[in-house]
Amino acid sequence: MKTRFVRQILFYGILLAIWEGLALAQVWPGYIFPSPLDVLRSLAEGFRDSTFWVAIGISLRRIAVGYGISVILGGLLGLLISRFSVVKDTVGNLSLGLQTLPSICWLPLALLWFGINERAIYFVVIMGSMFSITMATHAGVRNVQPIFIKAGRNLGARRITLFREVIIPAAMPSILAGLKQGWSFSWRSLMAGELLFVNLGLGHLLMMGRELNDMSRVIAVMIVIAAISILTDKFIFGTAESHLQRKWGLETKT
Amino acid sequence: MSLIIDHVSKSFPNQNKTLPVLRDIHLEIQGGEFFCIAGPSGCGKTTLLNIIAGLEPADSGTTTWNGKRIDHIGPERLMIFQELGLFPWLTVLQNVEFGLKMKGISAKERRKTALVHLEMVHLAKFKDAYIHELSGGMKQRVALARALAMDPQVLLMDEPFTALDAQTRDMLHDELQRLWTTTKKTIIFVTHNIREAVCLGDRVAVLSARPGILKNIVSVSLPRPRRIEDHGLMEIVRVILEELKGEIEKTVRDEFHEDTVR
Repeated sequence: MKTRFVRQILFYGILLAIWEGLALAQVWPGYIFPSPLDVLRSLAEGFRDSTFWVAIGISLRRIAVGYGISVILGGLLGLLISRFSVVKDTVGNLSLGLQTLPSICWLPLALLWFGINERAIYFVVIMGSMFSITMATHAGVRNVQPIFIKAGRNLGARRITLFREVIIPAAMPSILAGLKQGWSFSWRSLMAGELLFVNLGLGHLLMMGRELNDMSRVIAVMIVIAAISILTDKFIFGTAESHLQRKWGLETKT
Repeated sequence: MSLIIDHVSKSFPNQNKTLPVLRDIHLEIQGGEFFCIAGPSGCGKTTLLNIIAGLEPADSGTTTWNGKRIDHIGPERLMIFQELGLFPWLTVLQNVEFGLKMKGISAKERRKTALVHLEMVHLAKFKDAYIHELSGGMKQRVALARALAMDPQVLLMDEPFTALDAQTRDMLHDELQRLWTTTKKTIIFVTHNIREAVCLGDRVAVLSARPGILKNIVSVSLPRPRRIEDHGLMEIVRVILEELKGEIEKTVRDEFHEDTVR
């Protein structure tokens, strides 16, 4: 644990030193290759004049709505696919196909259908993440150990209660993995969408940095985006995962 | 109260022929009896238990409990599976409460009942533990508590102690005999271990292998609690094993033969 910490400190220290050295040596002009301090200054300024806060707020609201709908629809669809073979053979098959389509490919369609507005971006986010949640839910339910179902039925669980009290909790590790993958897909879709069509949000801020030739701001926004990804991974999904691992006694991966 | 297995037969399709598993089994088990079904592997004892549980239908013959025909699983006949099927996402207490919750019993009431049964198997201290934190013997006791909390009339046990070490098994034999004496449940216990069957059962039905035919029913009138190493017990086991010797050899020979054919 301690050696790992020391290694990481050293690694990032050296990385920053090389970066600062290259910037000081002026190998490239400052507007292409800003120094770490410039980036830090942009970061502070972005938060101080509240542009970053506004953009974070807008992006997070979009992801909350889009991903939320995705979880509900994707989860329901996954359960329906597991429950009814006719749904599996039809809609399940289609979902599998649509899942392979990179989400940003939905953007032109979304723009034509909805115009440049929030609904278009929600559509892209939902399309980008829903099917992976569907597939993970279905896989989780399908792979529930038969003994749990036998034991549940033996103890009087039937149909809906069997589903709610046995099958879904037994499938939870797989469902959670799907939720996590769905989250990262929807976050990526959102960023791509915001980059490509101009309408506030963090992705839009990146693009504005480019248009103003303000590289230190571009990097500052990238840092903000990465930080949000890491924080969600660690705190939301990390907590849920360690909660499940504690219950099930699964090996903790480090 | 009695369980009547009336000339039950069952076969399974195997490749493109049918494999007879049980042939013309006729048994009457009294309410409150500790009844063991023993026999070599492949004698269909688990299938017989599944038929009693209502998990599988028989091809011919009928099974009745108190004169009522068994054709589906019912709360009065509860199975403890070999793999137990304890739920890893629930605590020990929640596992024991599970069946009561399915019955629609109030949270307060089922917690009380579950605690009583956890105390019965001496696991009240572990009520908040998760299943993976328990030893093999403790898991068995949770499964017992979970079944007993449902207050079934018949407890069906399918080789529950096979995977345990000898000491733990001895302890559970004591515990099971004690629970049976206090609760007066009918227990039907399936095992391939003749010694275990004689140790636990009032009567032991001995099945032959492939197809399972009822060879003999042995009454064991030794005083309880019995230990597996009791001298009188060994004598009864010896007689049964002598009788089964040919059967076990037949099973082994069959399995060897099948292997060389493939």
